[in-house]
Amino acid sequence: MNISIPNILDQIIASIPLFKPELTLIIGFIVCIFTALFMEKRWKNSTFTACMVTLVFSLYYLVDQLSTTGTGFSGMWLVDMLSTYARLVIISSTLIIAIFLQQRHSKNNGDVYSILLAATLGMHVLSSTSHWLMAFIGIEMVSIASYILVGYFSQNKIQSEAAMKYVLFGSVCAAVMLYGLSLVYGLTGNLDFQSAEHLQGLMDAPEAVITLALLFVFAGIGFKLSFVPFHVWSPDVYQGAPTAITAFLSTIPKIGAIILFARLYQSWSSTAFYFSELSTWFIMVVAIVTMLVGNLAALRQQDVKRMMAYSSIGHTGLLLMAVFAYQDAFSYLLFYIVAYVIMNLATFIFIDQLEQQTESTSLLSYAGMGKKMPMLFTAFTLVAVSLIGIPPTVGFVAKLMVFTSTFSVFQSSGNTGILLLLVVGALTSVISLFFYFKIPLYAFLRDSGKESYERKRSSVVLLIIAYLLTATIILFGIFPNWMMLMLS
Amino acid sequence: MITLTHFLVVSACIFSIGLYAVLAKRNTIMILVGIELMINAAILNFVAFGKYDKINYGGQVFALFAIVLAAAAVAVGLAIILNVYRHFKTINPENIHELKD
Repeated sequence: MNISIPNILDQIIASIPLFKPELTLIIGFIVCIFTALFMEKRWKNSTFTACMVTLVFSLYYLVDQLSTTGTGFSGMWLVDMLSTYARLVIISSTLIIAIFLQQRHSKNNGDVYSILLAATLGMHVLSSTSHWLMAFIGIEMVSIASYILVGYFSQNKIQSEAAMKYVLFGSVCAAVMLYGLSLVYGLTGNLDFQSAEHLQGLMDAPEAVITLALLFVFAGIGFKLSFVPFHVWSPDVYQGAPTAITAFLSTIPKIGAIILFARLYQSWSSTAFYFSELSTWFIMVVAIVTMLVGNLAALRQQDVKRMMAYSSIGHTGLLLMAVFAYQDAFSYLLFYIVAYVIMNLATFIFIDQLEQQTESTSLLSYAGMGKKMPMLFTAFTLVAVSLIGIPPTVGFVAKLMVFTSTFSVFQSSGNTGILLLLVVGALTSVISLFFYFKIPLYAFLRDSGKESYERKRSSVVLLIIAYLLTATIILFGIFPNWMMLMLS
Repeated sequence: MITLTHFLVVSACIFSIGLYAVLAKRNTIMILVGIELMINAAILNFVAFGKYDKINYGGQVFALFAIVLAAAAVAVGLAIILNVYRHFKTINPENIHELKD
């Protein structure tokens, strides 16, 4: 032991500048708890204001960090371009989710903002670490915060059931992952999955143990990403949770988890040993099955939120494909993430607006609504077009980039599995056409039997945000270079 | 003499018992107990392996954090189960199936 305590303290103090955005979130979390307890009764929306101020400050420090790269806290905290951009996306989408919550659940909502900030902090941890301890803490922070968010507004049977399914499934996956991590730790003696010692330990380990350990670890990450076979919770939870929370669940937790998975895959697939082969095959098989299951199951859904759950499972398959093709350039992975987040946020805001009007999330309730709300349904259709991946939208550009990079990997390796991956990816994009187009089909071409509909409290702020997001989808679809310039 | 193997065998047994409880029990509280057993099996593994990690005691630290996080998750889980009981008057997962395809 040649590390003295003053040295460690110096190192911790030196790492604090890298940790500024997260420190802001921690302070904001505590401030939000206090405002929710003491200020909320006198000044309405004080917690919301504190939450927004925290997020804006965190965003400011992140923009400040754009040009820095480095590690802190003895290599446990990793700041590079990938993590900074991912955290920018996370914070920006959390801002939109916070506004969404404030508009939709204006009563009795004090504690929701502190929990939202805690979830954001967990996501930041996930996207900027290569250490298993931090990764596990991040996953658990996001999970526990999400359980509370799903159960927070529960007023009926469906919502409480969704929360219970989520908490049971999530805890089992976390426990399995922890056991897998303990095996990995025993095999390698090192918890940093990018270190040479870690990889060396995995190379020397027996194949049976390593298969078990890796599959257990992937179970925990798979739960957060909801890829097959760990996807069974997501349709139930997406349908049962309030729409604002579903918008949160379908976008933000996936960003952190996919960044962690990308880092993990990049370091584990870099050797020519058994565990690299195993993880490559795993990601290929899982990506193919996830795309097929997600898109085929979405075909027979009658509830829009359930359909979007399966659609986001399908998009997870494509994200895995992007991770697979992620070798040195991270820009197309990030491009796909940004496109996915924008599209999903816009979709859920539209679903929520319609839910306020018709008090239902069933596709049948959209019948004939297109004539009454032409503007909203035109924008909704554009977002659906982008989710399918048809030009001139950002979804098309994102899919095109993932396909081209996967194709170039295929050309250099000649592996038939990769070709199958491409074929399934293209095929499922065609399949997705059929269920996304149900929305404009019902809205514009079917007539509703009943004429009774009253204009209820529809939120103008949310609608403006949704239209802006739709405009961004078209804008980046026509000029993808603008975003690529920002990302590279 | 108790070796590393003994610890691993015990922890594997505890993990299996926990997994059995999760899959077979018809009471949500018992499922939570099973999850707790699985987590404790992993913690036992971490501490046992940590003996051989002389540099920075990663295993012990991981075990401490895992205990704290497990406690937090169980607290949230119990609160949600209480909420479910208010609506359904049962905590048998087989009788709670409002959401399905």
